[in-house]
Amino acid sequence: MTRVAIRNEIRRLRFEHGEMTQQDLADKIGVTRQTVNAIEQGKYSPSLEAAFRIAAAFDTPLEGVFHYSKD
Amino acid sequence: MPFREKSAWISLLSISLIYGLYFWSVVHAGPHAGFHFGSLLATVIALIVAQVVLHIVVAIAAPKEAKAPRDERDKLIELKATRIAYSGLATAIACACLFGALDPPIVFNTNALLFVLVTAELMRTSCQIIQYRRGA
Repeated sequence: MTRVAIRNEIRRLRFEHGEMTQQDLADKIGVTRQTVNAIEQGKYSPSLEAAFRIAAAFDTPLEGVFHYSKD
Repeated sequence: MPFREKSAWISLLSISLIYGLYFWSVVHAGPHAGFHFGSLLATVIALIVAQVVLHIVVAIAAPKEAKAPRDERDKLIELKATRIAYSGLATAIACACLFGALDPPIVFNTNALLFVLVTAELMRTSCQIIQYRRGA
Protein backbone atom coordinates (compact mmCIF):
# COMPACT_ATOMS: atom_id res chain seq x y z
CA MET A 1 0.00 0.00 0.00
CA THR A 2 1.31 3.47 -0.88
CA ARG A 3 2.17 5.89 1.87
CA VAL A 4 -0.64 8.26 2.70
CA ALA A 5 -0.49 12.05 2.65
CA ILE A 6 -1.49 12.28 6.29
CA ARG A 7 1.42 12.97 8.61
CA ASN A 8 1.20 12.52 12.34
CA GLU A 9 2.91 13.52 15.56
CA ILE A 10 2.20 10.32 17.46
CA ARG A 11 5.84 9.43 18.04
CA ARG A 12 6.58 12.88 19.52
CA LEU A 13 3.38 12.92 21.56
CA ARG A 14 4.11 9.48 22.99
CA PHE A 15 7.56 10.70 24.02
CA GLU A 16 6.08 13.83 25.62
CA HIS A 17 3.53 11.76 27.54
CA GLY A 18 5.99 9.91 29.73
CA GLU A 19 7.45 7.85 26.88
CA MET A 20 4.15 6.07 26.44
CA THR A 21 4.66 2.76 24.61
CA GLN A 22 2.80 1.80 21.46
CA GLN A 23 1.09 -0.94 23.48
CA ASP A 24 -0.10 1.61 26.09
CA LEU A 25 -1.57 3.79 23.35
CA ALA A 26 -3.07 0.75 21.63
CA ASP A 27 -4.78 -0.30 24.87
CA LYS A 28 -6.17 3.22 25.36
CA ILE A 29 -7.70 3.46 21.90
CA GLY A 30 -8.75 -0.17 21.49
CA VAL A 31 -6.55 -1.35 18.64
CA THR A 32 -3.53 -3.66 18.38
CA ARG A 33 0.06 -2.47 18.85
CA GLN A 34 0.72 -3.32 15.21
CA THR A 35 -2.05 -0.95 14.15
CA VAL A 36 -0.57 1.88 16.23
CA ASN A 37 2.81 1.16 14.62
CA ALA A 38 1.27 1.22 11.13
CA ILE A 39 -0.49 4.55 11.87
CA GLU A 40 2.67 6.05 13.34
CA GLN A 41 4.70 5.08 10.28
CA GLY A 42 2.06 6.52 7.95
CA LYS A 43 1.31 3.13 6.41
CA TYR A 44 -2.30 3.11 7.54
CA SER A 45 -4.82 5.94 7.89
CA PRO A 46 -7.04 5.37 10.91
CA SER A 47 -10.79 5.84 10.85
CA LEU A 48 -12.09 9.19 12.02
CA GLU A 49 -13.25 7.58 15.26
CA ALA A 50 -9.82 6.07 15.96
CA ALA A 51 -8.17 9.40 15.10
CA PHE A 52 -10.35 11.18 17.66
CA ARG A 53 -9.56 8.50 20.24
CA ILE A 54 -5.83 8.99 19.63
CA ALA A 55 -6.20 12.75 20.02
CA ALA A 56 -8.20 12.23 23.22
CA ALA A 57 -5.52 9.89 24.58
CA PHE A 58 -3.02 12.75 24.26
CA ASP A 59 -5.58 15.35 25.39
CA THR A 60 -4.88 17.25 22.17
CA PRO A 61 -7.09 18.50 19.33
CA LEU A 62 -7.14 16.33 16.20
CA GLU A 63 -5.01 18.81 14.24
CA GLY A 64 -2.39 18.55 16.95
CA VAL A 65 -1.90 14.88 16.02
CA PHE A 66 -2.61 14.65 12.30
CA HIS A 67 -1.63 16.92 9.41
CA TYR A 68 -2.83 16.58 5.84
CA SER A 69 -0.21 17.16 3.17
CA LYS A 70 -1.22 17.89 -0.43
CA ASP A 71 2.03 16.36 -1.81
CA MET B 1 3.99 -10.90 14.41
CA PRO B 2 0.32 -10.19 15.27
CA PHE B 3 -1.98 -13.07 16.17
CA ARG B 4 -4.13 -12.49 13.04
CA GLU B 5 -1.08 -12.83 10.81
CA LYS B 6 -0.04 -16.02 12.59
CA SER B 7 -3.59 -17.29 12.09
CA ALA B 8 -3.35 -16.52 8.36
CA TRP B 9 0.00 -18.37 8.16
CA ILE B 10 -1.55 -21.38 9.93
CA SER B 11 -4.41 -21.43 7.42
CA LEU B 12 -2.11 -20.99 4.43
CA LEU B 13 0.34 -23.72 5.44
CA SER B 14 -2.22 -26.24 6.70
CA ILE B 15 -4.47 -25.86 3.64
CA SER B 16 -1.49 -26.03 1.26
CA LEU B 17 -0.10 -29.16 2.88
CA ILE B 18 -3.28 -31.12 3.61
CA TYR B 19 -5.22 -30.27 0.45
CA GLY B 20 -1.96 -30.58 -1.50
CA LEU B 21 -1.75 -34.21 -0.37
CA TYR B 22 -5.41 -34.76 -1.27
CA PHE B 23 -5.06 -33.36 -4.80
CA TRP B 24 -1.80 -35.22 -5.27
CA SER B 25 -3.62 -38.47 -4.44
CA VAL B 26 -6.47 -37.55 -6.82
CA VAL B 27 -4.06 -36.87 -9.68
CA HIS B 28 -2.13 -40.09 -9.05
CA ALA B 29 -5.34 -42.15 -8.82
CA GLY B 30 -6.13 -41.24 -12.43
CA PRO B 31 -9.37 -40.26 -14.15
CA HIS B 32 -11.13 -43.60 -13.68
CA ALA B 33 -10.58 -43.95 -9.92
CA GLY B 34 -13.93 -42.44 -9.00
CA PHE B 35 -14.75 -40.05 -6.19
CA HIS B 36 -13.50 -41.14 -2.76
CA PHE B 37 -15.72 -39.44 -0.21
CA GLY B 38 -13.75 -41.04 2.62
CA SER B 39 -10.53 -39.47 1.39
CA LEU B 40 -12.13 -36.03 1.26
CA LEU B 41 -13.68 -36.49 4.71
CA ALA B 42 -10.29 -37.49 6.14
CA THR B 43 -8.77 -34.39 4.53
CA VAL B 44 -11.38 -32.06 6.05
CA ILE B 45 -11.02 -33.65 9.50
CA ALA B 46 -7.22 -33.45 9.31
CA LEU B 47 -7.46 -29.78 8.33
CA ILE B 48 -9.82 -28.95 11.20
CA VAL B 49 -7.67 -30.79 13.74
CA ALA B 50 -4.44 -29.20 12.46
CA GLN B 51 -5.89 -25.69 12.50
CA VAL B 52 -7.47 -26.06 15.95
CA VAL B 53 -4.29 -27.49 17.49
CA LEU B 54 -2.02 -24.87 15.90
CA HIS B 55 -4.33 -22.01 16.89
CA ILE B 56 -4.41 -23.30 20.48
CA VAL B 57 -0.60 -23.43 20.55
CA VAL B 58 -0.31 -19.88 19.21
CA ALA B 59 -3.03 -18.63 21.61
CA ILE B 60 -1.23 -20.18 24.59
CA ALA B 61 1.98 -18.39 23.54
CA ALA B 62 0.21 -15.00 23.32
CA PRO B 63 -3.11 -15.21 25.21
CA LYS B 64 -3.70 -11.45 25.38
CA GLU B 65 -3.41 -11.02 21.61
CA ALA B 66 -5.55 -14.07 20.95
CA LYS B 67 -8.37 -12.78 23.16
CA ALA B 68 -8.33 -9.28 21.64
CA PRO B 69 -11.11 -8.64 19.12
CA ARG B 70 -10.21 -7.71 15.56
CA ASP B 71 -9.58 -4.00 15.24
CA GLU B 72 -10.48 -1.78 12.29
CA ARG B 73 -7.22 -2.51 10.43
CA ASP B 74 -7.68 -6.28 10.81
CA LYS B 75 -11.20 -5.94 9.40
CA LEU B 76 -10.01 -3.79 6.50
CA ILE B 77 -7.25 -6.28 5.65
CA GLU B 78 -9.76 -9.13 5.78
CA LEU B 79 -12.20 -7.26 3.54
CA LYS B 80 -9.52 -6.45 0.95
CA ALA B 81 -8.27 -10.04 0.96
CA THR B 82 -11.80 -11.40 0.60
CA ARG B 83 -12.54 -9.03 -2.30
CA ILE B 84 -9.42 -10.17 -4.16
CA ALA B 85 -10.13 -13.84 -3.43
CA TYR B 86 -13.73 -13.41 -4.61
CA SER B 87 -12.50 -12.09 -7.97
CA GLY B 88 -10.26 -15.11 -8.27
CA LEU B 89 -13.08 -17.42 -7.23
CA ALA B 90 -15.51 -15.94 -9.78
CA THR B 91 -12.94 -16.26 -12.57
CA ALA B 92 -12.06 -19.82 -11.60
CA ILE B 93 -15.74 -20.83 -11.36
CA ALA B 94 -16.26 -19.51 -14.89
CA CYS B 95 -13.28 -21.57 -16.06
CA ALA B 96 -14.66 -24.63 -14.23
CA CYS B 97 -18.00 -24.15 -15.99
CA LEU B 98 -16.24 -24.06 -19.37
CA PHE B 99 -14.31 -27.17 -18.35
CA GLY B 100 -17.63 -28.81 -17.41
CA ALA B 101 -18.95 -28.10 -20.90
CA LEU B 102 -16.32 -30.54 -22.21
CA ASP B 103 -18.28 -33.26 -20.38
CA PRO B 104 -15.48 -34.61 -18.20
CA PRO B 105 -16.07 -37.43 -15.66
CA ILE B 106 -18.04 -36.27 -12.60
CA VAL B 107 -15.00 -36.89 -10.39
CA PHE B 108 -13.13 -34.22 -12.38
CA ASN B 109 -15.93 -31.72 -12.01
CA THR B 110 -16.23 -32.26 -8.25
CA ASN B 111 -12.51 -32.01 -7.65
CA ALA B 112 -12.18 -29.06 -10.01
CA LEU B 113 -14.75 -27.12 -7.95
CA LEU B 114 -13.02 -28.14 -4.74
CA PHE B 115 -9.69 -27.03 -6.20
CA VAL B 116 -11.24 -23.66 -7.07
CA LEU B 117 -12.51 -23.20 -3.50
CA VAL B 118 -9.18 -24.17 -1.97
CA THR B 119 -7.31 -21.86 -4.34
CA ALA B 120 -9.61 -18.96 -3.42
CA GLU B 121 -8.96 -19.59 0.28
CA LEU B 122 -5.21 -19.69 -0.37
CA MET B 123 -5.51 -16.38 -2.25
CA ARG B 124 -7.41 -14.86 0.68
CA THR B 125 -4.90 -15.90 3.32
CA SER B 126 -1.96 -14.96 1.08
CA CYS B 127 -3.42 -11.47 0.55
CA GLN B 128 -3.89 -11.08 4.30
CA ILE B 129 -0.27 -12.06 4.96
CA ILE B 130 1.04 -9.70 2.27
CA GLN B 131 -0.92 -6.79 3.72
CA TYR B 132 0.21 -7.55 7.28
CA ARG B 133 3.82 -7.77 6.04
CA ARG B 134 3.50 -4.42 4.30
CA GLY B 135 2.04 -2.94 7.44
CA ALA B 136 -1.03 -1.76 5.53
